Amino acid sequence: MANNALTGVGSESKQLATWYFTFAAIIFGAQLVFGVVAAIQFVEPSFLYGVLDFSIARILHINALVVWMVFAMFGSVYWLLPDETGIETVGIKIGKLLFWIFAAAIVVVVLVYLFIQVGPADDTTIWFITEGREYIEAPRWADLGIVVVALGFVANLFFTGMKGNRSGIVTVLMADMIAFSGLYLCGMFFTDNISMDQYWWWWVIHLWVEATWEVFVGSLAAYALITIIGAHRKVVEMWLWIEVAMLFGSGILGLGHHYFWIGTPEYWWEIGALFSALEPLPLVAMFIHVLYDWGKTQGEQMGAEHTDEDHVKSVITNKPAFTWITLNAFGNFLGAGIWGFFHTLPQVNLYTHGTQFTAAHGHLAFFGAYATILIGMMYLAIQGTNGIKVMNHTKASIWGVSLITSGVVGMTVALTIAGYSQVLVARAQMGGTWQAYFDGQAGMWFQQAMDWRLVMGVVTLLGFVFLAKDLLTSGKSPVHER
Amino acid sequence: MEQNLILTPEIASGDFLTIFVASALVLVFGGLYVGLFTAVKVRLLKPWFMIIGYGFWLLTVYCLYLMGSLMHVDHFTAKALVVAAVGLLLVPHAVYYMQDHVHRENEH
Repeated sequence: MANNALTGVGSESKQLATWYFTFAAIIFGAQLVFGVVAAIQFVEPSFLYGVLDFSIARILHINALVVWMVFAMFGSVYWLLPDETGIETVGIKIGKLLFWIFAAAIVVVVLVYLFIQVGPADDTTIWFITEGREYIEAPRWADLGIVVVALGFVANLFFTGMKGNRSGIVTVLMADMIAFSGLYLCGMFFTDNISMDQYWWWWVIHLWVEATWEVFVGSLAAYALITIIGAHRKVVEMWLWIEVAMLFGSGILGLGHHYFWIGTPEYWWEIGALFSALEPLPLVAMFIHVLYDWGKTQGEQMGAEHTDEDHVKSVITNKPAFTWITLNAFGNFLGAGIWGFFHTLPQVNLYTHGTQFTAAHGHLAFFGAYATILIGMMYLAIQGTNGIKVMNHTKASIWGVSLITSGVVGMTVALTIAGYSQVLVARAQMGGTWQAYFDGQAGMWFQQAMDWRLVMGVVTLLGFVFLAKDLLTSGKSPVHER
Repeated sequence: MEQNLILTPEIASGDFLTIFVASALVLVFGGLYVGLFTAVKVRLLKPWFMIIGYGFWLLTVYCLYLMGSLMHVDHFTAKALVVAAVGLLLVPHAVYYMQDHVHRENEH
């Protein structure tokens, strides 16, 4: 059966994974820089006006978010495939070629966003500058390139899974990645009707982040729990199947909560309300997952050593990775669960839709549900490539995780306060008119919240500097057991 | 063409804070219930903590009721909230039952 010996040295698949992780970390840094620029522009609108307008900074901020996560996801799969299947990834040379094509395309797209920015309102803009849909704004030539890269990636995953030992984790990933890649196609075509356009666009955004990405995270958590604390594979994979059933069960039709106000039929109110109310349940299950596996494994360790609790050895073999994965369990629950649930029912969403509540939810959910576990995977890669037996925290890793988490939580609180003032002023009191939109952002509470969002954004960026330093240097640190 | 008009009662300005806090507490209390339930089952905590766990589930139900009332949810959404409350009570039992059996089969 597959092993988890962390044999990073000599595996071409794992080498390719480190390339993906490295590029992902660079884009992660760019995402934070452009986020801070956009946050400054909220406070001081003339900042970089005419050079890098808010609209462009925001495009770069949110598209970089998606790109670095996709890169880190591909990297995670290439990292775990040899462990799970027991063989080297099939088609690794094509995988490497596709990496360079993908990375080069992203660099070109970023340069176009930075230096060309806008084009004429015709097909040349759609093909060569931007398609103009939030989160997936890449021009069409890059869209087609992404499809080719994704097909190559999925082919590598499938051929490796079919040739080697197909574990439960790999089987789930094979199915999930087909949906993940296929859904991207729904964001590639235009219709003249904005309601229909948004209808399909949500298929990409919602069915990625609340279905296929969540299942992907469940798979990574399963792999990480086996690798880091030695949890039983059968137990973990049983969890994974339950989570997959629950996530797809509630997540797919949870799509309805995006269809309340875009011109779709009113039955989406009822579908959205029911499945949105159920969506926190799998997140709760994932929360139990980590607690159960850690409790069971640590409990067995305590029993095996026949000693008092103070002297029991930890079963955790990679403390930075486990810290990030524990943050994932909490962050997913808080960001996707709590911050999602309190504005998901149509009766209250009527007031919160399009306010900074959405931004608060987005910041904490993307961080809690995805960024955390992908950073955890990067630490697993460092452990594997440097032959570390037990990886401990360095000062930089502690500063990194503390500052990034504090910064994101701080931004979320600030944006929640801003959103709350918008709900009261712009929606409840002024009825959501055009004038109300501006008056809602003119109040003291909103403006001070935006100041604090900027401060906390800088804290997050500072945390990233520590994280980057740790990712670059931790492999050689003497604090680890080899 | 027939025009469909959905009318929903307005939410009082003073109720928004209660709604948001109650909504957040639904999952906080729900998470505490699930956390205590699991911790007792894996023997990280003593069995009497289970009573506190069920107390948190009751608080979850109350918060769902409070939130739904202040939002003036319609009949369908009210039923959806009841399903969610019952689901939250039963899901940890069902998941733990399945998980524990897999664990035992794996060990013996």
